[in-house]
Amino acid sequence: MSAVARTVRPFASRVLSQKLPITAARRVSPAMGFPRGSIRSFSQSPFWEVKKYTESHEWVELAADGKTAKVGITQYASESLGDVVFVELPDADLEVSAGEPVGAVESVKSASDVLSPVSGKVLQGNSILEDNAKFINQSPEDEAWIAELEISDAAELDALLDAEAYKATIDADH
Amino acid sequence: MLPFIRPLRCRPSRPFLTQCTRFNSSSSSHVFPHLASRQSAQHQIYQSLSTDPYVNLSIEHFLLQHTPIDSSILFLYVNRPCVVIGRNQNPWLETNLQAIYNDRIESTPDENEVLYVRRRSGGGAVFHDEGNLNYSVICPRTSFTRNKHAEMVVQALHRIGATDTRVNDRHDIVMSSDKDTQPRKISGSAFKLTRHRALHHGTCLLDSPHIDGLGFFLRSPARDYIKAKGVESVRSPVTNVSTVFPEGFGAFSVRSVIDKIMEEFAHLYNVSPDAVRRAQRAHTDEPELFSGENWVAGSVGDSQGYGEPEIQKGIDELRSLEWKYTQTPQFTFSTYPIEDDPRERPSLPASLPPSTKVFLRLKHGAVVESHISTSADPSIASEQANRVHESLNGRNLHEIPPSQWDAVLERLDEDASIVHELSIFVKSKLGYS
Repeated sequence: MSAVARTVRPFASRVLSQKLPITAARRVSPAMGFPRGSIRSFSQSPFWEVKKYTESHEWVELAADGKTAKVGITQYASESLGDVVFVELPDADLEVSAGEPVGAVESVKSASDVLSPVSGKVLQGNSILEDNAKFINQSPEDEAWIAELEISDAAELDALLDAEAYKATIDADH
Repeated sequence: MLPFIRPLRCRPSRPFLTQCTRFNSSSSSHVFPHLASRQSAQHQIYQSLSTDPYVNLSIEHFLLQHTPIDSSILFLYVNRPCVVIGRNQNPWLETNLQAIYNDRIESTPDENEVLYVRRRSGGGAVFHDEGNLNYSVICPRTSFTRNKHAEMVVQALHRIGATDTRVNDRHDIVMSSDKDTQPRKISGSAFKLTRHRALHHGTCLLDSPHIDGLGFFLRSPARDYIKAKGVESVRSPVTNVSTVFPEGFGAFSVRSVIDKIMEEFAHLYNVSPDAVRRAQRAHTDEPELFSGENWVAGSVGDSQGYGEPEIQKGIDELRSLEWKYTQTPQFTFSTYPIEDDPRERPSLPASLPPSTKVFLRLKHGAVVESHISTSADPSIASEQANRVHESLNGRNLHEIPPSQWDAVLERLDEDASIVHELSIFVKSKLGYS
């Protein structure tokens, strides 16, 4: 498989898994043949903003460069945990595998690990949370991300839940 | 390879045993990890024969990680005297390190020495001893609420006659009495959540001989100087459940509380009566396990963690100085007001020059910034501070033994008597007697 095809393929299956009509996905697919540089120019398009979820209530959002991603806990998780009083951030250069802890939060006497949805190397923890752990309750899926990772393999995102499938798991639990 | 399991024939005279398989520790010490993780083990009730907090917390952690994700587990244990802090707490701030066993040097604690433990769950610092019963319930995360199991224990306490107990808004159990206007805390709760499972463990002060003095172990001599990130304990007045009985402890026993908690747990999760009977009759001096179609019950507490690598790993981790000390969230120690901690400070000992300053900033328990000086002249003070920082920078605080503090402070180039006094002051605040 050519290098281009290998980097591009995950995007295709991601688009498919986002429950677009098949025809829409097909219409997009010629764009997949574009070299990397032109993908970047599409970065404002919702097609390229890939955000996935885990059953354990984490999210991962791939950056436009396709190589780095931010990881955090979901709105649902932040609500069910209650007031967050401390966030244990990972140190830079920590290597994590998908499913391993990349941090931990404490709320109302409860310690919960934050499991990394994907494998990679930590670039940084979100230092805002060092002084203001509560911020995670205010902006869990946006500015209060927990870690930024250099990801090992963007294809790992394919196996994760899209927004709709994630929502279904929450509904199923309750 | 699966561990060897030897089923024993059950006596016909005890019909509830017909479904039981008995596992005797002498023939199968490896059986516990296997039984606990079997898919069919939907209900499990154990009490520990060990009083080692590191062992008990590690057995508990094993149960959290390896029992079937839809199972419900009750684990009861009593620890030797120890101070247990929450995962994100600071031992220099939350404990009186001077008063408890110094694990920072290589030695073996005496039987009566109080141990220092950092647990994996959240929450604040508590004191355990032989009069304190710990209960721990592990259940599916989806059916978990923070009060559910505290309420279960309250029901059990009501049944032994402690009817003035209730769960408060901090998920703790408090007890009212005629003597006090405010209810007093008898039980503190903490939680650990994983992907599929929730662990709720709590203390329960039944008849602690240290009840009037346990605050001493939880009061740090450095509390006026340390400002820590992470979680601060909320201090509450405590009492023993035994105080509600006019005749004292004679009116009830730890055993009856254990029995009632087991019954309430069984009621809550629809556990087979056989399992409860087995758990209640489990031998108290020798580990033995029983199992039925969908349950396991009995006593555990192997000090070696059953040769189970996961349990042994947990014991080693909890005992390690890395977990105990370098897991500490960032903090500052300062004898004068600083931006992060502008509180007024108590005056320094009269034997020290009034210009004396001690400031440390620590990350992961290691010094990342410091200013220690005695001179009133700012430029001399700054030189002193630089020299001292050279020898402190990057070092783990717990790895600087008392003898080395003298050497570090000699770099001040100050009168020997002042260096000596300052060393005594610093060491006393950092938990050395």
